[in-house]
Amino acid sequence: MTPTLRGRARSKTSKTSPTSPTSSASPKAVARRVAGHVARGLAMIWVVATISFVIIREIPGDPVKGQYESLIQKGMSPEQAERATAVLYGFLPTGSLWEQYTGYINSLLHLDLGRSLSTPGVEVTTLIGSAARWTVLPVLAGTLLSFLLGVIMGVYAAIKRSGRLGDVLALSGSLLHGVPVYVIGLLLTAIFATLWPIMPSGGPVDVEHVPGLNPGYLGSLAHHAVLPVVTYTLASYGGWILAMKSNVVAVLGDDFILAAELRGLKRGIVFRYIARNAILPLFTVLALSIGMLFGGSIFIEQIFNYPGLGLLLVGSISSRDYALMGGTFLVITIGIVVANIVADLLYTAIDPRVRSGGAA
Amino acid sequence: MTANPTAPAVRVRGLTVVYKTPVGELPAVSNVDLTLAPGTITGVVGESGSGKSTLALCLLNAVQSPGRIAAGSVEIDGLGDVVELGGEELRRARGRHVGYVFQAAQNSLNPLKTIGKQLLDLGRSHGVEDLRALVRDAKDLLARMGMDGARVLDSYQHELSGGMRQRVGIMLALVLNAKVVVLDEPTTALDMITQATILRIVREVHDERGLTTLVITHDVGAVAEVADNLAVMYGGRVVEHGPVMEVLGSPRHPYTRGLIRAIPRLSGDISLARALPGRPPTLGTLPAAGCVFRERCDRRMDVCDTVEPVPLTRDGRTVACHAVDAAADVDANAAPGVAAGAADRTPTTARRKEYA
Ligand SMILES: Nc1ncnc2c1ncn2[C@@H]1O[C@H](COP(=O)(O)OP(=O)(O)O)[C@@H](O)[C@H]1O
Ligand code: SF4
Ligand SMILES: [Mg+2]
Repeated sequence: MTPTLRGRARSKTSKTSPTSPTSSASPKAVARRVAGHVARGLAMIWVVATISFVIIREIPGDPVKGQYESLIQKGMSPEQAERATAVLYGFLPTGSLWEQYTGYINSLLHLDLGRSLSTPGVEVTTLIGSAARWTVLPVLAGTLLSFLLGVIMGVYAAIKRSGRLGDVLALSGSLLHGVPVYVIGLLLTAIFATLWPIMPSGGPVDVEHVPGLNPGYLGSLAHHAVLPVVTYTLASYGGWILAMKSNVVAVLGDDFILAAELRGLKRGIVFRYIARNAILPLFTVLALSIGMLFGGSIFIEQIFNYPGLGLLLVGSISSRDYALMGGTFLVITIGIVVANIVADLLYTAIDPRVRSGGAA
Repeated sequence: MTANPTAPAVRVRGLTVVYKTPVGELPAVSNVDLTLAPGTITGVVGESGSGKSTLALCLLNAVQSPGRIAAGSVEIDGLGDVVELGGEELRRARGRHVGYVFQAAQNSLNPLKTIGKQLLDLGRSHGVEDLRALVRDAKDLLARMGMDGARVLDSYQHELSGGMRQRVGIMLALVLNAKVVVLDEPTTALDMITQATILRIVREVHDERGLTTLVITHDVGAVAEVADNLAVMYGGRVVEHGPVMEVLGSPRHPYTRGLIRAIPRLSGDISLARALPGRPPTLGTLPAAGCVFRERCDRRMDVCDTVEPVPLTRDGRTVACHAVDAAADVDANAAPGVAAGAADRTPTTARRKEYA
């Protein structure tokens, strides 16, 4: 009736007519948004790739050229040396900057990130792949666990905010939120691996087990994962509980919750109204934080000697393994980009306001 | 306008509601007696802060913290004293027996669910067995209020304008067939034409179903169109109450007169329209003894400073004022032109144009 008001939550790109509110949740709009994200993500990946090319190329002493020349000195023919170097870095040591650059991008497109210097001959993708296992699983477990705990406790902290339980919960959140992750990690190792050694002090698995789907190996894996996962969980739990508490408190003050009560809606239904509205903004943060943690937590992996992406990155920097460094950065970037897209899709799936092309 | 025999009466007796403030608990509603005759529409007017919403919430025993009902009762036929209800009993009474249109009805919907789903939540909460019939009734009500029911039920709140949301709020208050309906400024987000239409529809539904209705508004003109009785609130008191035409035509309480004088069309002449002097009291500035209106009253007497006037009823009209007690016949003192103005039933729209 009054198109001026209803237009507020709509984006300018949404072409749906104001007389057809239901058609605004069109898959077309969603596809357009995802396409936008993918385009931005690809641009971001390209920028990171270009930066790592420039770093490798412009590092003082030019490692690529150095490698090439040292191979020639060892008696290789220039062609052989060129090929060997190209295999190592993913681009040719000679030729113009442009030729080198296009060569590099071309091999990236073929998922060839070059070979590692510090672990000679092994492909960077292989190294990253095996490190990713040790990062992704514990990070995923820790993040989801802390999200679950934080959200549930956050609801309690909000509902009981004038009582003792609420105070304790909120305090636990603030404390944990303020403590740096490496302090939590060191404290946990000190307690559970040194003072009262019920947990392994480091490494991803005990060496005496044969890798595979046997109970001994899996049990050892799980045992070793406990402290890192608990550290990840505690490190992010504080943020979740505080965010959830404040969201619930805000929603409790919203008019529509009072209206729902005045209409005599059942308690369970009102609770679902509150929970869904309060949790919604956290889902995006969840997806993003999973993406961020693809880089692994350098501190946690170092403390628990967990051979994940964080350690890989640190190792590549200290050994000047540029191909590995660039590759790791690239993978972390891809993780973030993918997380962004997932977060957006998630939001689209659960928030009707975004679905119709409104403010995200 | 004839009373419907099935409609329940609502009797508010000695109702006092206090809000906790830094300086202690202060009354927002003080010892109020108010009877809503079965089958009538009672309008409540008064400046912002006079306690209208607080009083309305009491009909659902829904005063929000930091407030509480400190004394009194709200008897509703077939329901008993609402103040004594609690838990599941109270929840079931809300919505089912007393329909409520929230003051901020534009924001009374869950942003994450379609209107239809919220309607079903309402039906399920009150054990409605025939949900199809419920949806049909909802569509009918929406259609009467000028909307495409099917489309509105499929919409999310953000896809509706403020006025549409307000009408959805009215639909949700009526759809369960509650016999007592409370509307707290139900038309504020609507344009003038729609406002008049909606109030007319409220009147129609009220007559058809035999309801007892309370309409709060600060638009005295609008309430004249729709109400049978009018209650005027000031500082947490009902200072005047009676048949709407009589109250508007020959206001007795100095505050009622001031309110009417402030409305150009009702006072007959724009040049005579005069804003009420002073500001409405807040909880903190309300005097503890004497008449709450005395600071702004042009008929103040010594007794007004010390003794609070009690509401007295004479020929169907209730007034709480020492000056009115004293004068046997106050009608002679009525402002000139007021009677003519109140009898005039020009639609609110026409009236509003004069402001612009
Ligand atoms: N939650 C609250 N806390 C403190 N004071 C309140 C609260 N709600 C209302 N009041 C006070 O109670 C008085 C009556 O308010 P209200 O019933 O909303 O009046 P109206 O609806 O007539 O504008 C006002 O003075 C207001 O400031
Ligand atoms: S009681 Fe006194 S002060 Fe109050 S309205 Fe009447 S005349 Fe005025
Ligand atoms: Mg109000």
